[in-house]
Amino acid sequence: MLVLGIESSCDETAAAVVADGERILSNVVASQILTHERFGGVVPELASREHLRRIGPVIDEACARAGVSLADVDALAVTEGPGLIGSLLVGVVYAKALAEALAKPVVGVNHLEGHIHAVMLENKIARAANPEIEIAEFPNVTLVVSGGHTVLYRVEADQGDDGTAHRPQFRYTRLGQTRDDAAGEAFDKVAKLLALGYPGGPVIDRLSTHGNPDAVDFGRVRMKGNPLDFSFSGLKTAVLYRVRGTALEREAEDRRQWQHDLRREGKRPAADELRTHCSQETLDLIASFQSTVVNDLVERSLVAAESEAVSSVFVSGGVACNSLLRLRAVEAARVQGLGCFFPSLALATDNAAMIAAAGFFKLAAGQRADVTLTAHASFPLGVESGARDVHVQNPNG
Amino acid sequence: MKQTAYRAGSVQATRSSSRRRLHDRVTHSPDETLALGRELATLLSPPCLVLLEGELGSGKTVLAKGIAAGLGAAAESEVNSPTFALVHEYAGRRRVYHLDLYRVESARELASLGLEELLTQDATIIVEWGAKLLHVDAPVPRFEIYLEHRGEGERRIRVEEVAD
Repeated sequence: MLVLGIESSCDETAAAVVADGERILSNVVASQILTHERFGGVVPELASREHLRRIGPVIDEACARAGVSLADVDALAVTEGPGLIGSLLVGVVYAKALAEALAKPVVGVNHLEGHIHAVMLENKIARAANPEIEIAEFPNVTLVVSGGHTVLYRVEADQGDDGTAHRPQFRYTRLGQTRDDAAGEAFDKVAKLLALGYPGGPVIDRLSTHGNPDAVDFGRVRMKGNPLDFSFSGLKTAVLYRVRGTALEREAEDRRQWQHDLRREGKRPAADELRTHCSQETLDLIASFQSTVVNDLVERSLVAAESEAVSSVFVSGGVACNSLLRLRAVEAARVQGLGCFFPSLALATDNAAMIAAAGFFKLAAGQRADVTLTAHASFPLGVESGARDVHVQNPNG
Repeated sequence: MKQTAYRAGSVQATRSSSRRRLHDRVTHSPDETLALGRELATLLSPPCLVLLEGELGSGKTVLAKGIAAGLGAAAESEVNSPTFALVHEYAGRRRVYHLDLYRVESARELASLGLEELLTQDATIIVEWGAKLLHVDAPVPRFEIYLEHRGEGERRIRVEEVAD
């Protein structure tokens, strides 16, 4: 089954053609990062206008690269939420109209479910090339961590009673989530505070390699109530206190001015160039901040894996590109005897291949969206851990 | 960085609004800020607009948690930062829309949020980085809350009720 996936929940307009939920024929992503960079974040109306401008060409490109025409596609899958409502609507309305015109089925996909499927998709692709690679199994604990989300799930696959073992249905239980800022949001806000540019994640990742991660002790985040919840707001404020009224603040102002001047000349700062505008103290602060976030993400994921008695951990979402997170998660999982699975960078960030892959399993189970399919800004995935028993009795609920 | 099209308070002077100081409090921990939020919830009857203004890390989301929980719209743990999605909706015993204008830069973007529609509902609307809305005419009671850092852990929180 050829599924055309469409994703427009945040700042990427993406389309992909995926065969049987496991072979990527094309995966096209048009990013708006340059459009948004000037504003230090995603600006919602800009985002929807850019999606509108790009969605047609991006879908055409996805078909062309896959070597198929729209008529060859068997079904469509589109992100219905969560995300920016105006951006989501562009994808959803386009997908519905296209499905109607082509007389093909369409199904809505939760963006977070897409991120989880990105890990499985990556694993299937890797194993197709090299069967020696360890299989990403269920049940597992998955951390979805990005600019908008920091959530831990237990993911289970029902193999079904009728021999449909290759088309399992998935069940998601939310074990914990951020109580304030998402991890990626903390990266963005700290980067903005220190005038390091947007998006904050990649730039902090690069600069941190030049700083001492143990220079500043931010302590550990203690959570009252659910120990699998996250909190990054206090850490962001702690960084603010280290900067405010100090030489670091003046240094950040100088950097802001320098970047502003560069932009006026139509130039962008190269990564190495940015580093020369950072004192060692700033680099140490950034490295310590990143290390604290990463340790917290890894620690709670492993605690979840242990209490859920699963044998592997998946990590996905834009922050899954962070090199320190990859290093420490894999190492900590190995020590604990767990498998640890990340998507490639292209599948970790927002993309439509993961939406097509997640949509495939819904379509294979006979799910179809009707005309009421619409976009949802808030759109929780799965059930909360407290409600798990009820859910197990109603797996299709 | 482009300055926003808004100037906090610039339109304020041109209109005859009456303003009443309800609280001027210093809290010493996130728990105290939460408790103040819960206390404020008892003053609010929907529809109403609650504007939260204060710099990064000054406790806006924590206060919003307390208000939403106090109204019975959501558990404290369900309320988190809407910076990414711009609008969170909590529909428990009462309905609360939790907005964040951190990333909203112009009047046009503001218009695209559909605030007018939210205001017609029987809901409490909490807005972080709310100074960007000071000039908006809202046909509902408005509360303005100013949060300031006062050293580590301490926040000064002023609450004003504004009637146009």
